[in-house]
Amino acid sequence: MRDTVQAEPQDRGTPDSVASSDHRQSTVNPASSDRPVIIRTVSLKKHYVRNGVVTEALRGVDVAVFGGEFISIMGPSGSGKSTFFNMIGALDRPSSGRVFIDEVDVAQLTAEELAYLRCHRIGYIFQTYNLIQYMTALENVTTPMAFGGLMPDQARERGMHLLELVGLKDRWTHRPIEMSGGQQQRVAIARSLSNRPTILLCDEPTANLDLHTGQEILDILQRLNRSERVTVVCATHDHRTMDMCDRLMWIRDGRLERLARREEVRVKVGSIE
Amino acid sequence: MKPIRIADQARLGLRRVCRITADGIRYRLFRASVTVAVIAVAVAFLMNILSESLIKRAVARAARTQLARARLAHEWVFRLSSPGTLETMLRELAGTAPGAPLAAEARRMGALDAREMARLRDAAVSGARYLDFFAGLDHARRRRLVRTAEGTAILDRLAAPGGVDAFTAALRGTRSVRFVDPPERLAAFAAEWPAARALAERVRAGRERAIAAVNAHLEDQTLLQGLADADGRFGDVLRNAGFAFPPPTAAATAERARRLLDVQRTEAALDCRPLRQLIARRYDLLPGDVNAARLWEFLAAAPDAAAFIAAMAAAGGQADGLTPQRLTALAREWQVNLQLERAERLTVQMAAARGLGERMAWLLLVSLLVCGIGISNAMLMTVTERFREIATLKCLGARDGIIMVIFVLESCFLGVVGGLIGAATGALLGTSRMLVAFGALFAEAVPLAQLLTGAALAVVVGIALAAVAAVYPAFRAARLAPMEAMRVE
Repeated sequence: MRDTVQAEPQDRGTPDSVASSDHRQSTVNPASSDRPVIIRTVSLKKHYVRNGVVTEALRGVDVAVFGGEFISIMGPSGSGKSTFFNMIGALDRPSSGRVFIDEVDVAQLTAEELAYLRCHRIGYIFQTYNLIQYMTALENVTTPMAFGGLMPDQARERGMHLLELVGLKDRWTHRPIEMSGGQQQRVAIARSLSNRPTILLCDEPTANLDLHTGQEILDILQRLNRSERVTVVCATHDHRTMDMCDRLMWIRDGRLERLARREEVRVKVGSIE
Repeated sequence: MKPIRIADQARLGLRRVCRITADGIRYRLFRASVTVAVIAVAVAFLMNILSESLIKRAVARAARTQLARARLAHEWVFRLSSPGTLETMLRELAGTAPGAPLAAEARRMGALDAREMARLRDAAVSGARYLDFFAGLDHARRRRLVRTAEGTAILDRLAAPGGVDAFTAALRGTRSVRFVDPPERLAAFAAEWPAARALAERVRAGRERAIAAVNAHLEDQTLLQGLADADGRFGDVLRNAGFAFPPPTAAATAERARRLLDVQRTEAALDCRPLRQLIARRYDLLPGDVNAARLWEFLAAAPDAAAFIAAMAAAGGQADGLTPQRLTALAREWQVNLQLERAERLTVQMAAARGLGERMAWLLLVSLLVCGIGISNAMLMTVTERFREIATLKCLGARDGIIMVIFVLESCFLGVVGGLIGAATGALLGTSRMLVAFGALFAEAVPLAQLLTGAALAVVVGIALAAVAAVYPAFRAARLAPMEAMRVE
């Protein structure tokens, strides 16, 4: 395992071969192929067994996400969108197939290394915010830093900076229960950024918010993507997301239905072609 | 864009973990207090049983020694009236050390040499054990094994020709009965028994002679009246007759005997009509309803006792030598004896049993079980309802170990608080109940050190159960992938 990790920087020099092999599956990414692949899945499958009934959530998905891009995952509910999200975030174990995060096979990592990966490299934003209820906004933001080994005073400083970034500096003492949904989601974004992640994974970040607040959240995400070059993967129903993403990905019945750059998709009011 | 490098996750200091745990408990204070309450109730139950049994045991011991002292005169009256059966003699010998005064007395009375005495004692020890075994059997089994024999007749049956064989055959056919000794030992005893029995009969005959000699000295006195002089001439008579009756015992016996005589004299006044009326008037009773309890209640106050003595003298009773102080002292003692006897009745099982006693041990076991299940359930609930939080913490990069530590710390903390509250409540309940049951007698017998040890034990049990009960669900939760944990609802 350790060998793979150490050999990994050299591997980064050859993403082209990976990208070209990917090229066959995803028809539309010529413009992106010069960028390194940061997430790659190979025939990813997942089924759930409950009470003896097998539900196929993913039936083999091959996708490559490039560093620094903003990609939206679209699809009706029950399409396997969230499952896919969990797989690429190393939050769940695939039934078969592989997930590579920066060319490291997630299945090969130990529990400790997984914790490190989740802590330092990926930021998660959930539909239900998932803040720790008994912690204040600042504590919620600094907890991942504590897990990451940052000293408390440094963590506090950075936490306040992040809260300022999402416009909640004056509410740092508030607990989640004392904040609105939009504010909670903004705290969640600040939290997801606490250890400077390379990847930001968002699972329907705007689904529980009204139009205006949702727009604010999306603006923050776009700003992060543009200025900090954070890779954003966003599973969503929200059509506004399409307006700001680089690529769109449709999942239906556990399969990759379509993958397209934004320019290729024509957006009409109320419907998509 | 920076490259992803994967290493081991940093470790969190204990202080940070403690703070996270404390915050968690503070936020869910209500839930935590319910868990604490469950632990407290369980530990209180445990502690209550423990403290009650400890106190009962101490009180039983105290009551037994005090009663033995109070009954000293009665005991000697009994010993001087009859030599007792062979069975009681066997048990008496089996229960005394070889060099004890009682053993020496037996040897003297039977005129046994050292070898004979040792032989008798060995037989007595085995015989007493066998008799205990037969006493513990139910009627049907006993009938099957030894027919209708009682007491030493059982041993005679065994010693008769073919007795042991018949017994072992019957034993083989009787289910769920194990004899206390292997067959060879039983056979050896059966061979020995006739000789030992003859020795015991000799002792018994000697004792009978001694009793006759003592009674010859009494002339027209009762035994009790004679014993009232036990610290004087009568004591010498007893010693000359061969009884083990050292001067300290003699003094105590004489004192008890004199008291008993006074009690008898005073209670005899109940036969006297004017005295009955005196007491009946006080309590607004019919003279026929006055009983000993009323009499002693009446005599508890010195002026009443003085009036009683005056009335007694006027009615022609034997009031000479009775003073009001003496009567009130006797009245007080009457009350104390009442309490002692009550304590003896209440603790009859404790006195008979070794250790904590079967019933108490069973109760303790059950309460431990209840305690364990209650705490496990509470901890399981706490952990299960926090699966989502655990999953979130894992998403944020918490190591599995940290999650375990958080939960085990939390449950230990709840265990400490619940255990302390429970132990205090249980001990308080147990002690106050015993206080009501035993009254003044309890106060001097309370085993404080044992109670404290018991309380410490109960607290430790509470903490250990809470921690152990939390480990499994926390371990399971920590090991799950975050999304798997979130799916468990």
